[in-house]
Amino acid sequence: MRPGRLSRFGAQAAEAAVFAFPLLFFLLILYGMLAWTFYTSFSNWQGTAADYRFAGLTWYRLMLSQDRFWVDVGNNIRWLILGVLPTATLGLLIAYLLELGSVKGVEAYLRTLILYPSAMSFIATGTIWSWMYQPDRGVLNTILRAAGLDSLTSGYTTDESAAVYWLILIFVWQFLGISVLLLQASLRTAELQEMVEAVTIDGASKLRILYSIIVPNIRGGILIVVSLLVISALKVFDIVYVVTFGGPGYATDVLALYMFIATFQQHLVALGAGLGVVIFALAFVVVIPYTVYALQRWFQ
Amino acid sequence: MKRGIALIRLLVIVTVLITSVVYLLPIYVMALTSLKTPLAITQRQYLYPGGDLQPGNYTTAFGLVLPSIVNSSIIAVTVTLIAVFVGGLGGYFLSRFKWMIAKVIFVLVAVALYLPYQAVLIPLVQLVAATGLALTHAGLIVSYLILNVPLASTLMATFFFSVPRELEESAEVDGASRLQIFFKIVSMTSLPAYASTAILVFIQVWNEFLLALTLSTPYTTTVQVKLTEIKGSYVALYNLQMAAALMTVLIPLGFFLLLGKYFIRGILAGALKG
Repeated sequence: MRPGRLSRFGAQAAEAAVFAFPLLFFLLILYGMLAWTFYTSFSNWQGTAADYRFAGLTWYRLMLSQDRFWVDVGNNIRWLILGVLPTATLGLLIAYLLELGSVKGVEAYLRTLILYPSAMSFIATGTIWSWMYQPDRGVLNTILRAAGLDSLTSGYTTDESAAVYWLILIFVWQFLGISVLLLQASLRTAELQEMVEAVTIDGASKLRILYSIIVPNIRGGILIVVSLLVISALKVFDIVYVVTFGGPGYATDVLALYMFIATFQQHLVALGAGLGVVIFALAFVVVIPYTVYALQRWFQ
Repeated sequence: MKRGIALIRLLVIVTVLITSVVYLLPIYVMALTSLKTPLAITQRQYLYPGGDLQPGNYTTAFGLVLPSIVNSSIIAVTVTLIAVFVGGLGGYFLSRFKWMIAKVIFVLVAVALYLPYQAVLIPLVQLVAATGLALTHAGLIVSYLILNVPLASTLMATFFFSVPRELEESAEVDGASRLQIFFKIVSMTSLPAYASTAILVFIQVWNEFLLALTLSTPYTTTVQVKLTEIKGSYVALYNLQMAAALMTVLIPLGFFLLLGKYFIRGILAGALKG
């Protein structure tokens, strides 16, 4: 390498450092804290004062022996499946329907309508939905009774066996708009439009086009939507906190809420850190395919 | 063919009707309840109007949430300004430098983007308490910055990709430094991108609950924490609770309705590239 090129590279690196440094500073703190959480999870910290004596897997063993942990894992899986699949499928159907028969004003209206909850907090939506669900005077039961469908009324989030599903419905309600928005964007690429046009001339039915042409060709878009939903469903905390606080009993408890309670109410900080590690590990696994995809697109 | 189109039209109409009910009903009930007397709420169905309208509920609720609105505004505005500035620099790095180290940083950012807050909550509390930041807004501001700078960087990087390089190259020929090019050319042509990123970060911080719950003190209570406090109080002030909830969603909702274009661009940018 000639010296000129080397110094030019040096100058470039110095320039790049100016831009990268502030970002790296925050990343360093972030990953430092992540390592700190890992370390804490192997410590013996219980009570309010920090205690970093090494305790090995003691608290992880305790975690795995708790019924509550497994109830939470079950609930988190329910959230992952029922918070993601219906939201993505419904989102795709609505996006496709708007492509087929979109009238401009209607589309703008519908978009605003289903997207506004994404600007609201889970605390606000959770609060509103508590009013929808309230068994005696709540909105849903009032409507069902007025329609003569008394047999369909239920206790919603107070019903131990069904509460978690009613909570998930709030999540679906809140995320449907983003799902539609993102999928609409991937339906609108020029290549896809051409492909659809070609088979439309051949006389393929709309539904057939959807599952044999569109779905395979927007895998990237679907991956993005599903990853976003999966991560949001996995770290769900606010909705559960504000609507049921994990109740009845701990029927609607999730890992994120247990982490909070273990750490700040029971002061089993090492256990809380371990739960944090578990949540992180699950999220990490989920983001891998997405990160690989994004990396390829970014540096292509 | 004709029948197909008619069927699709019908489906669109049905979809619009169903979503209208499902998405407007909660807002309606919220607004209605916020205007009732406590007695009217406990005696009737939530769905039906009843009793005299009580616009005064809003004055009372406003007094209740005003301190927390001030706190949330201080925190969210400061975080947004700094995150957007740092995100602009970091985003420029991610979008223009394609070395191996840039790939490593990209992966670190991508993981950070989706990091569950629970994974760093305990150290954050320790850090904020040990440095004395907990007593002021600085504690939450620093915490939110750490967690939102990766998001802001990714968004800005995505937007910078679409800034034509020719602009920069001609300035480079004229002898401008990278920093000059960045501030005078790239940033200036990317003001809408800054707006999108700012709105997204602001809404994210305004609506955040877990960190606010664990890190806020009576001096720094944020709106979301205040809402749960009102909801959890034993004297169930449902009307005030609803009025307060409506007022606290007005700010992010206002951004969404007035600057929806930027909000939507931000969501698309955050998802499609990063």
